[in-house]
Amino acid sequence: MGVIKKLPVYAEKVPGGGIITTQLNKVFTLTQAKSLWYLLFGTACCAIELMATGASRYDFDRLGMIFRASPRQSDLIIVAGTVTYKMAPVVKRLYDQMAEPRYVLAMGGCACGGGPFYYDSYSVLRGIDKVIPVDVYVPGCPPRPEALLHGCLEVGKKIRTQKMDDWS
Amino acid sequence: MTKAELLDYIKENFSGELEVIENEHPEPYFIVKAQDLVEFSRFIHDDERLLMTFLMNLSAVDTTEQFEIVYNVCSYRFKHRIYFKIIFDYIKPEFDSVIDVWRAADWYEREIWELFGINVKGHPNLKRFLLPDDWDDGYPMRKGWQGKNVIPMPERK
Repeated sequence: MGVIKKLPVYAEKVPGGGIITTQLNKVFTLTQAKSLWYLLFGTACCAIELMATGASRYDFDRLGMIFRASPRQSDLIIVAGTVTYKMAPVVKRLYDQMAEPRYVLAMGGCACGGGPFYYDSYSVLRGIDKVIPVDVYVPGCPPRPEALLHGCLEVGKKIRTQKMDDWS
Repeated sequence: MTKAELLDYIKENFSGELEVIENEHPEPYFIVKAQDLVEFSRFIHDDERLLMTFLMNLSAVDTTEQFEIVYNVCSYRFKHRIYFKIIFDYIKPEFDSVIDVWRAADWYEREIWELFGINVKGHPNLKRFLLPDDWDDGYPMRKGWQGKNVIPMPERK
């Protein structure tokens, strides 16, 4: 529905026929932002909140967000939870396996910057941005589903401001 | 068996030396001599009135003067459980593996070996599994340990 409503913004109808003209960039980025498939990657308690967001009450699917169990089929990786030094190479490998263009959402205090494990911890990585580039940070411990939804919409906004040349 | 019966039964039937810790808990708590550990474990596992076939937990305690290894075991058959621990000093930290009695001790003992730096005699597979493979920063669960990557908690003002 979002596409149909915003059609006058993105496309122009040619009078007298069933033809519209638009920019390829707009079509690509809009469709991309409206079907973000995310990699289901929960390492700690934030994953519970991620599951709640995916379930029927908050309903991720209405944004076109469907979880994939494989990094090769996903556009977005939601890192939900604490990442330890032992887990960090795994996150990096999953990120490397994703096809471009790819986006990263850091969910919760631990993924953003270590969270409650910042001090006095021998095993926790202080933020996944030490390993992979992060597009959107969603703070909270854990963030509410509304916050996560907002973060995902921000990822969509970021995609729509991109040019196709930016894909690298 | 009740707590008192269990206490008496184990004290009477075990050949080695046992020390009892008096406490409020509904389960008996023993201190076992470190050299008697495997023998005691075998006894409570095999004795037909105890049948402590389930090792619930196995952990180490660092008191900065000595190490304590605490065992929680219970019996599925009789629904009773006991706690016991062994104590040894800091200078030569090692104890016997009970992996031949309870197979479940495998990972617990590996964890103690890795995080406390206590040698487990007779364990077949002492390899890293909780810390990263290239870890060379000591034993993080020891009291007084200070790691390279640890940021200490600032003083409260």
